[in-house]
Amino acid sequence: MNLRHSLQLRHVDAGSCNGCEIEIGSVFGPVYDAERIGARLVASPRHADALLVTGPVTHNMASPLERTYLAMPEPRLVIALGDCARDCGVFSGGYAVAGAVADVVPVDLEIPGCPPHPDEIVSALRRFTNR
Amino acid sequence: MIVLALVAGLGVLATLTALVPRAVRVKLVAGLLGLVEIVGGATAIRVLATNHAIVGHTSSLVPFTGVRIDLTPLGALFTLTTAVVAIAATIHWVGYRRHAMSSVSLSSAFALFVTSLLLVPAAGDIVTFLVLWEVMALSSLVLVAHDHAKRDETRQAAWWYGAMTQGGAALITLGLVVLGGHAANPSFSAIAASASHLPAATRGAVFLVLLVGFGSKAGLVPAHVWLPRAHAEAPAPASALLSGAMVNLGIYGIVLARTLLGVGATWWWLVAGFFGVISALYGSLYAATSTDLKRLLAYSTSDNMGLVVIGLSASGLFAAHNAAASSLALIATLVLVTAHALYKSTLFLGAGSVQYATDERDLDRLGGLARTMPVTTAVIVVGALAVAALPPLNGFGAEWLVVQSLVHGLSGADPVTTVATAVFVAALALTGGLTIVAFVKAVGVGFLGRARSESAEHAREVPVSMRIAPAITAAACVALGVAPGLAITAISRASDAVAPNRSGLTATLSGFHLQALRSAVDPLALALGAVAAALVVAGLRRAGGPRTGAKLRVFEPWGSGRAVTSARMQYTATSFAEPLQRVFDDVLAPQHDLDVSHVLESRYYVERVAYASANDDIVERRLYRPVLALAAVLGVRARGLANGSVHRYLAYGFVVLVIALVVVS
Repeated sequence: MNLRHSLQLRHVDAGSCNGCEIEIGSVFGPVYDAERIGARLVASPRHADALLVTGPVTHNMASPLERTYLAMPEPRLVIALGDCARDCGVFSGGYAVAGAVADVVPVDLEIPGCPPHPDEIVSALRRFTNR
Repeated sequence: MIVLALVAGLGVLATLTALVPRAVRVKLVAGLLGLVEIVGGATAIRVLATNHAIVGHTSSLVPFTGVRIDLTPLGALFTLTTAVVAIAATIHWVGYRRHAMSSVSLSSAFALFVTSLLLVPAAGDIVTFLVLWEVMALSSLVLVAHDHAKRDETRQAAWWYGAMTQGGAALITLGLVVLGGHAANPSFSAIAASASHLPAATRGAVFLVLLVGFGSKAGLVPAHVWLPRAHAEAPAPASALLSGAMVNLGIYGIVLARTLLGVGATWWWLVAGFFGVISALYGSLYAATSTDLKRLLAYSTSDNMGLVVIGLSASGLFAAHNAAASSLALIATLVLVTAHALYKSTLFLGAGSVQYATDERDLDRLGGLARTMPVTTAVIVVGALAVAALPPLNGFGAEWLVVQSLVHGLSGADPVTTVATAVFVAALALTGGLTIVAFVKAVGVGFLGRARSESAEHAREVPVSMRIAPAITAAACVALGVAPGLAITAISRASDAVAPNRSGLTATLSGFHLQALRSAVDPLALALGAVAAALVVAGLRRAGGPRTGAKLRVFEPWGSGRAVTSARMQYTATSFAEPLQRVFDDVLAPQHDLDVSHVLESRYYVERVAYASANDDIVERRLYRPVLALAAVLGVRARGLANGSVHRYLAYGFVVLVIALVVVS
C-alpha cells in the first residue's frame, strides 16, 4: 500500500505490561525520532492510517479494540507490536487473555521482540513510509 | 358601535355558556368565541379598510361617564392582530382537554379574556379603558392560576403576575386620572386636545408614570419578572394570548400615551429607549441561556418588546428633525408588533403541544421530537426562523424596517440623538445574534437528535385541532413575510393616526420600497437566492463527494472504544449555552453548587457527587427579593400595632383624624 511517505498511527494498549510502550516512547523521542521518516501518533482512530497494538488482548479490551478498528477510515493497516501482540507471549493461557491481536482484528505486520528494540520498530515503520 | 356591542354581548354570552354540562361546554364556548373573534376581526378590517373610526357613546352601563367607544385605525390594528391570535388559540384550546382547561371557571375566564383583549383598543375614554383593562388582567390571572391546587410554581406565578399587573394598573390609573382631571370630559379625544395646555413637568411626569405602567404589561425590564413565570405556567392557549395579544396592549398603551401627550421632550424617549435597550439585551441573554422552553419564549417576548420600544423611542427622537425617519420608525414598530404576535403565538402553541404530548418543558429532557411530532416541529421551525428574523418570514421585514429607520434617522440629528441611535443599532445587532443562539438551541436540542427521556421517546403527535392552530399563525408568518404588501397599507393607516406617514414607504406584494430614503428589499427574492445557493452547494458536494459506485460505510459514532448508547451523551441546552453563560458571567451570576461526599474509609474514594446549577433571574434576585424580604419584616413588626386593645384602636383613629384635618386645612 502506498502511503506517500506519511503514516498516521493510532496506538491501542490491549493489555500490555508497558514494556512496549516505553520503547514506543523512545521511537518518537529525540534519539530515534520516527517523525523524521513520516510516522506520527494521532489522538483518534478517525485520523489514523494504521493501528499500533501492544500486549495480549484481554477480555476487557477485545471489544474496544474491534470498535477502534471499525472506526478507522479505509484503507487501514494493523501492526501487532511485541511478542505478546503476536502470540500472547508469557501471558499465553492467562485467565484474563482473550487471545492474540490476530484473533480479534486482521494483522498486516508483526514486530517481534520482548520488547522490540526501537531500531527494529523504526525499520518496520519505514516499510510503510518508504523513507 | 352596534358591531362592538355585538362583540361584547357575544363575549358575555360565551362566558355564561361555560355553565353548560361538561360534555358540550368546550365546543359551545369555542364556537361562540370563534364568532366573537370573527366579528371583532371583521370590524377591525372594516375600520382599516375605510380609514374611519367607529365612535359611539352611551350614558348607560357605567355611572357618571357612561361607555365611550372610539375604535381608531391604530386600535383596529391591535384588535385585528388579537383576533387572528385568538382564533388560533381557541382552536388549540378545543384540543387541550387535559390540565383541567375545560372546567367552568377556566372556560369562562378564557372567553372573558379573549373578549376583553378584543375590546381594550376600542375604549374611547378613561373609565371604559380601565374597566376593560382590569377585566383583561383579572380573567388572565384566573388562567395563569389554573393549576394552583397542584403546583407551587403556579401559585408563585399567579402571585407575581397579580401583584405586577395590579401595580401597573394603579400607575396607569394615576396617569390617566391626572390627564382626565384637566380635560372637559374623560374621553381620549378631549384629553389629547387639552394635554398640550398642561405644564411640561406634569406632562413629563404623566408620561413616565404611563411608561412604567404600560411597560410592566409589555414585560419591559425590570418590570418583566412576572412574564417568565406566568407565561411558563399558563396553559398553552392562554400563554399564546398573553404573549401574542396582551403584551401588545402594553405597547398600545405607550403609543396611546404619545397620542394623548404629543411627542414631548427628547428625554422622554431617551428614558423609554433606555428601558427598551435593557429589555432587548436582558431578554435575549436570558432566552439564550434558559433551558425551559416556555421560559425561553417568555424572555424572548421581553426581548422583542424591548426592540418595539426602541423603535417607538426612535420615532419620538426623530420627530423633531426627520419626519420621514420618525414615521418610518413608527410603522416599523407596528410591523414588528404584529409580526411578533404571529410568530410568538405560533411558538407558544407549539410549545404547548410539546408539553401536552410529553409533560415536559425542560429542553434537557426533550429531543427527537422531529420524528414523533413532525407537524408540531415544522411549525416551531417556522416560528423560530421568524423570531430569528430570517427571510422570507415576517420577522425579517420588521427588523429591516427598524434598522432602516434608525440608519436614516441619523441625518440632521443632534449629538444626543446620534449617540442614542448608535446604541440602539448596537443593541439590535447583539440581540439578533443572541436570539439566533436561543432558537438554534430550542430547535436543535428540543426537536432534533435523540430523545432524552422516556416521555419524549414515546411522544405522540397531538390532536388535529392542536396541529391546525399553530399552523394557521405559522402560515400567516410566511404569507406576511413573502408578501408584506398584504398588511402594510393597514399598518401605515394605523400609524397615520399617530403621526402622518412621510417616509414614502410602499410595499409591493413581494417587498418593501422606501422612495424617500432610496432603499428597498425583497424578502422573497432573498429567500429564493438562499435556496438557490443551498442547492448549488448541495450539488457541488455531491459532485465532489464519493464517486458513484464507491462503498459507503456506516458505523456508530466514536465513543473512545465504548458503545455510545446513552442519549445523555448528546449536547444539552445547558452545555450549548455554557460558553455564553461564561462570557456573561458577571451579568448573569449563575449559581453553582458542587457537593462531593467521600467514603468513610478514605478521602481518595468518592461516594457521591451532587451538582446543581441555577440560572434564575438576577433582577428578581437582586432587586425584588430584598424589597420583598424587607416588606415581610415590616409586616411582622406591624403586627405589634394590633394587640387587641380597643382603647389603642380608638387612639389610632383619633390620631389619623387629627392628621387628616391638619393636612386638609
